[in-house]
Amino acid sequence: MENRRLRARRLFRPNDYLVIFVFVVIALLLILFLSPIFWMLSTAFKDKGEYFTYPPVYLPKKLDFSHFFNGLKLGGAKGIHDTLIVAASTTALSMIIGSLAAYSLGRFRIGGKHLAFWILSIRMMPPVASVLPLFLFYRFLKILDTYEALIITYTIFNLPFAVWMLKGFFEELPKSLEEAALVDGCGRLGAFYKIALPLIAPGLVATALFCFMFSWNEFFFALILCRSKITPVTVVIAGMIGGHEILWAEISAVAAMASIPIIALAIFLQRYLVRGLTLGAVKG
Amino acid sequence: MEKNRRARFSLSIEKRIPVLFVSPCVAVLLAVSIFPFLYSLWLSFNKWELGMGQRSPTFAWLNNYAHLFTDNRFWDSIENMAEVLIFGVGAQFLIGLGLALLLNRPFRGRRWVTTLFLLPMMICPVVVGCNWKMIYNYSYGPLNHILRIIGIGEGLNWLGSTHLALPSIIIADSWEWMPFMMIVLLAGLQSIPVELYEAAKVDGASGWQEFWYITLPSLKTIIIIAILIRMMDTFKLFDLVVLLTQGGPAGASETISYYNYLTGFKFFNMGYAASLAYIQLAVIIVIATFFLRSLRKGEGG
Repeated sequence: MENRRLRARRLFRPNDYLVIFVFVVIALLLILFLSPIFWMLSTAFKDKGEYFTYPPVYLPKKLDFSHFFNGLKLGGAKGIHDTLIVAASTTALSMIIGSLAAYSLGRFRIGGKHLAFWILSIRMMPPVASVLPLFLFYRFLKILDTYEALIITYTIFNLPFAVWMLKGFFEELPKSLEEAALVDGCGRLGAFYKIALPLIAPGLVATALFCFMFSWNEFFFALILCRSKITPVTVVIAGMIGGHEILWAEISAVAAMASIPIIALAIFLQRYLVRGLTLGAVKG
Repeated sequence: MEKNRRARFSLSIEKRIPVLFVSPCVAVLLAVSIFPFLYSLWLSFNKWELGMGQRSPTFAWLNNYAHLFTDNRFWDSIENMAEVLIFGVGAQFLIGLGLALLLNRPFRGRRWVTTLFLLPMMICPVVVGCNWKMIYNYSYGPLNHILRIIGIGEGLNWLGSTHLALPSIIIADSWEWMPFMMIVLLAGLQSIPVELYEAAKVDGASGWQEFWYITLPSLKTIIIIAILIRMMDTFKLFDLVVLLTQGGPAGASETISYYNYLTGFKFFNMGYAASLAYIQLAVIIVIATFFLRSLRKGEGG
């Protein structure tokens, strides 16, 4: 009772108009912001007559899932399959090599700051600067348009990221735990994979998911290094737009299928998002 | 004796573990990243017009770099990039800061609202391009429909006119990356100690003074880091250009990475493409140095 009266009185405090105003602003901005995503989802269900018409149809008449199946048949399934293989292999490679290096850099400060910064600087190289020689290199090795070419390329860019992220996590880990293990006769290797690795498990997962996301979303290298045998989903989507007759419903359906797993991952990662996106510069 | 030797062996391994651990990473990066950079550096001093049927490169001194100065297309793409930087990154920063300030107060469901605002950034860039291609469509797109309802003429030819092609890309790019600014600045806001604001309140500071004398100075490093990262990203602006305009009409929306892609992989002018890449590399190194410097400052070392 007392509580309710308090709340009622609060409603009339001038400060509350500000709060309501802020809420309205946030709600409007959200609607504005999410409308392009809504447009993609609604188009995925539209008939041909509904997306080539004026005025545009905002809500399709029926929930027709057939475009999802058509989209998968028109290259979407192959695209997602190829992307999955490349992204998973890249992630595994970057994590294995990266965690070792990160441990060495974080614990023993090997190479001082220079080595760590050199590794990071490779990440910042503009892709255009490296794509040309890589293209010629792969052509020489005859591995253009193969999984290997993409996996190697993505690993070059994911490895520095993984090292730098994991280094931060290792540095935050108190040394005493590993030292106790060393005293118990565990050896450095044992201390690394029995003590240090399990303790930074959340960091490992976050870093791996970031590597996965980067490889999944990548388009530039995929476009140049792949022809017809390997078709990552980003290339498939771009190719569908370039065609003569643009099947917007199928494109939207494939686009939705390609983004939903990543959105799910990113929501799961939200705690580490800032850290990952700023290469660990902002701990968040 | 045998035991002793084994013990000594394992001890020597123990000592080398730091080096052993880091060497695969260094080996991989050296092998597959240093080679390309050295090779393309060499290439940038060569004339190699694969597209004209020239089989192997011939040394051409600084011709490629000299050509850069008179290449209007190159300068136009630089100008476009400057526009993306000023209007795009500028808008992302201002809107992102505004939203971060709005979201920096506790209210019910804040976590979910924040997540919803982050969605554009989480979608894959090619999908973003696709999406905006539909939205900008002159005849069937919802954007022009809304403009016609409001009564702004017959709608705008977003992707097809030289005036609007680049702004269209800037809008789509800002839509995608504003959340980045927002979430990074929000993290920064949340790391400002509450005591600072309490002290300011005791001193009778107004809201505006709090923002100007506490919030902004505390955010300085984070703002610099966020803007530097977005600066480096503008060099890579490619996906949206391919999907929305292909650099057109008449090169009005050509970015530097798209022009570089065309030189290398459509005109097959390899030497010139390498020199274009190297110019960008030089600029990126400058930006990255600033970035690393602020990173070191952030680490307190």
